[in-house]
Amino acid sequence: MNTYSLTVSSPDGTVFEGSVIMLSLRGANGDLAILAGHMPFITSVKPCDCHIELEDGTKKTGHTEGGLLTVASNNVTLLSSSFKWVE
Amino acid sequence: MGADIKKLRSRIKSVDSTLHLTKAMGLVASSKIRRATEAMNKSKEYEKAFSNVINMLTSCQECSTSPYMQENSTGKICLVVIAGDRGLAGGYNANIFRFAKEYDNAEIIPIGKRSCDRYSGEVVLAESFSSNDAVTMSQELCSRFAKGEFDKVGIICTKYISIMSQEPQIKWILPLQKGEGANSSSMLFEPDEVTILNSVISEYIAATIVSSVRESYAAEVAARRFAMDSAGKNAQTMLDDLQLKYNRARQGAITQEITEIVAGSNV
Repeated sequence: MNTYSLTVSSPDGTVFEGSVIMLSLRGANGDLAILAGHMPFITSVKPCDCHIELEDGTKKTGHTEGGLLTVASNNVTLLSSSFKWVE
Repeated sequence: MGADIKKLRSRIKSVDSTLHLTKAMGLVASSKIRRATEAMNKSKEYEKAFSNVINMLTSCQECSTSPYMQENSTGKICLVVIAGDRGLAGGYNANIFRFAKEYDNAEIIPIGKRSCDRYSGEVVLAESFSSNDAVTMSQELCSRFAKGEFDKVGIICTKYISIMSQEPQIKWILPLQKGEGANSSSMLFEPDEVTILNSVISEYIAATIVSSVRESYAAEVAARRFAMDSAGKNAQTMLDDLQLKYNRARQGAITQEITEIVAGSNV
């Protein structure tokens, strides 16, 4: 599977940084998932659970209180004022 | 002579306890410096990432219709004034208040205990200021700005230049300035530029407030360490001086006593 680099940032520092296969969350117009090779894209994020599929296939879930998602040439950044991992 | 010695002894005691106090406060401050600068760097990184995107959004033609980019004309400004929670940090708090005096007709939202005491607001501590506090504050600021209550919104905080020097500064946060040099032609915006800008603006303002508070706190701790260092040095010089005077007085008293005894025994 193709991967891309994802960074999840909050005001208290970088919460996650690494290669992932997929990120899915709730954008301004509804749920969406980002795969490698996505075109440059910006959307606001609604408060939701974010599902991240890591390079090795494991899945992680975190909760964000809104934020901003930017996709630019295989670099994806999620800026969130509050991001917490869900066990 | 005896009374002089007693006075000197009590002064030495008081200067010595001051020396202990400044040393302890200096140590506490230097242990906090590392954590404070780390927190500052993290929040700055976040703010920078956010401001890059905001810059891209504001450079679009469509965004100039956003209420956050309009210049109002009410003649009122609003300032968030960030000062420290405690004193004894050299000129840190005084510099901020002197700087804020230039805008004396502004509505002030204080952060930091000293600032809250001065501008009589509800006490918000700078040390434990959280991003949730910032979000609440920025939502209120944004909605009041969008209603046209203020011309400009700014933050007065301290710029951390190095561990030795800090200076007060003002950052204007609203209205947003038009971004320059950002190329967004190939970007896809969902749903569109203006809606994104209007929905994330409060988070951007919150990020700016948090990073200013973290930077000011780092500057406060660094200023306190520096001030305590020099206060400790002064106390030590004073102590040496007093000790010398005390020894002289003590020796003078002994010599006088011996002279008196010798003079008495000769008779």
